[in-house]
Amino acid sequence: MNNIAAILRIGPDHRTGARHLSFLVLIAIIALVAFSSNLFLSPANLANLSSQIAPLLIAAVGQTLVILTGGLDISIGAVIGLVTGLIVLDAPQWQVVLLAIGASATIGLINGIGIAFLRVHPIIMTLSSMSFVQGLALLVRPVPGGTVPNWITASITGDIHGIPYSFLWIVGFSAIGGWLLYRTRLGLHFFALGGNASHAGLNGVRTRESTVAAYVLSSLFAAAAGFFLAGRIASGDANVGASYGLDTITAVALGGTQLSGGIGSLSGTIIGTVIVGVIGNGMNLTDVSAFLQTVIKGALLLAVVCVQRRKEIGL
Amino acid sequence: MSVLIAARAVSKNFGPVQALKNVDVAVEAGSVHAVTGENGAGKSTLMKMFAGVITPTTGSIEFKGRTVKIQSPLQALHMGISTVFQEFTLIPNLTVAENIFLGRAPRTGSGGIDYKKLNADASGALGHIGSRLRPTKLVQNLTVAEQQIVEIAKGVAADADVFIFDEPTAALNTADVSRLVALIRELKVRGKAILYISHRLEEIFELCDTVSVLKDGVHIATRPTVQLNEQSLVALMVGRELSDFFPPRAREIGTTILRVGDLVIDGAEPVTLELRRGEILGLAGLEGQGQREIVRALAGVIPASFAIFTKTGPSGEVVTLDASNGVPYLVGKGIGFVPEDRKGEGLFLDLTILENVALGPQLRSAPWRLAAKAKQMVTGLMQSMSIKARSPMTRAGALSGGNQQKVLIARWLASGVDVLLIEEPTRGVDVGAKSEIYKLLRKFVADGGAVLTLSRELPELIGLCDRILVVHEQKIVADVEAAETNEHAIIHSAIGTRQESTHSVAA
Repeated sequence: MNNIAAILRIGPDHRTGARHLSFLVLIAIIALVAFSSNLFLSPANLANLSSQIAPLLIAAVGQTLVILTGGLDISIGAVIGLVTGLIVLDAPQWQVVLLAIGASATIGLINGIGIAFLRVHPIIMTLSSMSFVQGLALLVRPVPGGTVPNWITASITGDIHGIPYSFLWIVGFSAIGGWLLYRTRLGLHFFALGGNASHAGLNGVRTRESTVAAYVLSSLFAAAAGFFLAGRIASGDANVGASYGLDTITAVALGGTQLSGGIGSLSGTIIGTVIVGVIGNGMNLTDVSAFLQTVIKGALLLAVVCVQRRKEIGL
Repeated sequence: MSVLIAARAVSKNFGPVQALKNVDVAVEAGSVHAVTGENGAGKSTLMKMFAGVITPTTGSIEFKGRTVKIQSPLQALHMGISTVFQEFTLIPNLTVAENIFLGRAPRTGSGGIDYKKLNADASGALGHIGSRLRPTKLVQNLTVAEQQIVEIAKGVAADADVFIFDEPTAALNTADVSRLVALIRELKVRGKAILYISHRLEEIFELCDTVSVLKDGVHIATRPTVQLNEQSLVALMVGRELSDFFPPRAREIGTTILRVGDLVIDGAEPVTLELRRGEILGLAGLEGQGQREIVRALAGVIPASFAIFTKTGPSGEVVTLDASNGVPYLVGKGIGFVPEDRKGEGLFLDLTILENVALGPQLRSAPWRLAAKAKQMVTGLMQSMSIKARSPMTRAGALSGGNQQKVLIARWLASGVDVLLIEEPTRGVDVGAKSEIYKLLRKFVADGGAVLTLSRELPELIGLCDRILVVHEQKIVADVEAAETNEHAIIHSAIGTRQESTHSVAA
């Protein structure tokens, strides 16, 4: 029994939070959706689901890093919008790619510096940068359009032996996130920051630099999600990421990660993202109104946050 | 034996306050060196300097014969100085092994953490100090004693030569204390230098070879413990005549001002007490026996099942008060409350002295009334109470503990209350200011007020109060005249002799 718990990383000696519950919720929801619509399990729909989930998951991996440190990144959606806008700029391809990555990293850097060095509250900081970046994205690309480089589109649509490329994106970025979080000192320091930031500092964790790193990584994951989305919609759209700030937080929270930081897991985030994706997909299949879907997503976040025990005032 | 670590003429200033003055302490390899003194003597400041938390204003730290600058606790650990802080610095959501090696976890060739080595090394360090704690356990699931083991293991894993313990037995039970003592002896045998900060005399005599005494930031003496006994050590720690430290007691006690019939807290038995004008009444007892709850319930800070009592005004009119109406109501009725945690619960540290004091009278006027100009009044109070600050516009957070406490008392003096409920009147206050605060309270009651106070320090209660009520298990078990009692008698009733005697037989 202990061995099983160790393999699954649950029980008193793991900091995965309520992930096991998330897993049960996922099974229940898949069963419910599969029961309501017989299209759900069709290969075409599963490929579609994979491509819907991929950008959310990539962005949510970055959000997980930030939330584990005890922070929050609301600017993710605006970064995604800006990246899609930059990719379709009329310039050499290597330049726009570098520009998109550089801009995202800079936004993350600014978020991190504001939060770690100027001690601005993460919500205020990323809310401000969200507004700033969203405006910038609209300046770059006021209306959706432009042409996305072929190789980006090609890396997203298509499959290899029936496995959609989008699924490979999911696997690849999950692996990067997992390596960062569970194999590097930085990942351990993210957990330490969320556990007790001042103690972490006393033990030699470079708390401010690590916090900055979390926000830079979050922006870079958002940039990757932006590349994917640009390829999928085959155009630049400043507003395409609008729902991602909140959706990634919902996905992370659904994965059993505590929004106060320190407790949570990447696998939980994957489960949470799939839950969000399946619910959206299921509601599309059963013709639920898009507006009602927004209502349900908001209620979902509220429900998840209410279920989690709060450690301190705030989230 | 050689000196491993030493403070050479170190001083430390915190703003205007000089916490350490020219202190010299040297610790030898293979010895346990105690640093002791009263609260606020500078023990913790000295310890933090060795630990790298703060740096000396002047003077230097010498380690293995070389002058060193220690900038951070991690740097100290790398050099070989391990500190077990009184408040542990562990991180609850990390495992034992991750905590032991935080910031310096072993890595594999590819740059990732080598968890196999991490856990094995942690096991090794724990085994070295005779602990079989599983390295993959989360720290939040450990007992306090186990957490302390992890803190010590950090130093062992870093192969430290100097171990600093700051009041290590404060949170331990008897069995864990004896285990810790054995562990420290073991470290000593291995030639480590141990700095042991404590004010528990029996531990110092049991464990330590040498003792240095600090008082008010000054190094008083360093002696081998074999040359001392408890009396001579206390004499070094206190080092002054206590005769005029406390102001003379009231010559005449007035009529009853508060009559508390039956205060019921959390279903415990009702508490009855009477406070008279001109009187300072103290509540004594062991930690957590309910003294604090009595004061807080009367102040309207914590809810009580029944907290109705009567207060007699200056002209003899009797009003019935219900403390469950809360603090603002009671302030309006002339009862002020000074909490123990003055920084957290009493003062607004970011506001000025003026604002902190002016709050008192404003609390007693209607909310739509214009706030009165208070500068003159506050300046006057600052002078009469000798609050040391440049102006009334100084931030309360910038003041020393003693001056902060005076500001808090000034708030209630300005508001004109005639009953003060005070928790720990002089906690974290230096000796000079203590005496001044006692005089202020004495003047307050001499002018027709009354004070109900509690304190962990019995000598303070005996010196300050007119009458002392001893609380045991939420009951008042004794009512004694302070002038006619002593610590021994109070402790006797505070222990609640009957139950405790069976305990001690069992232990």
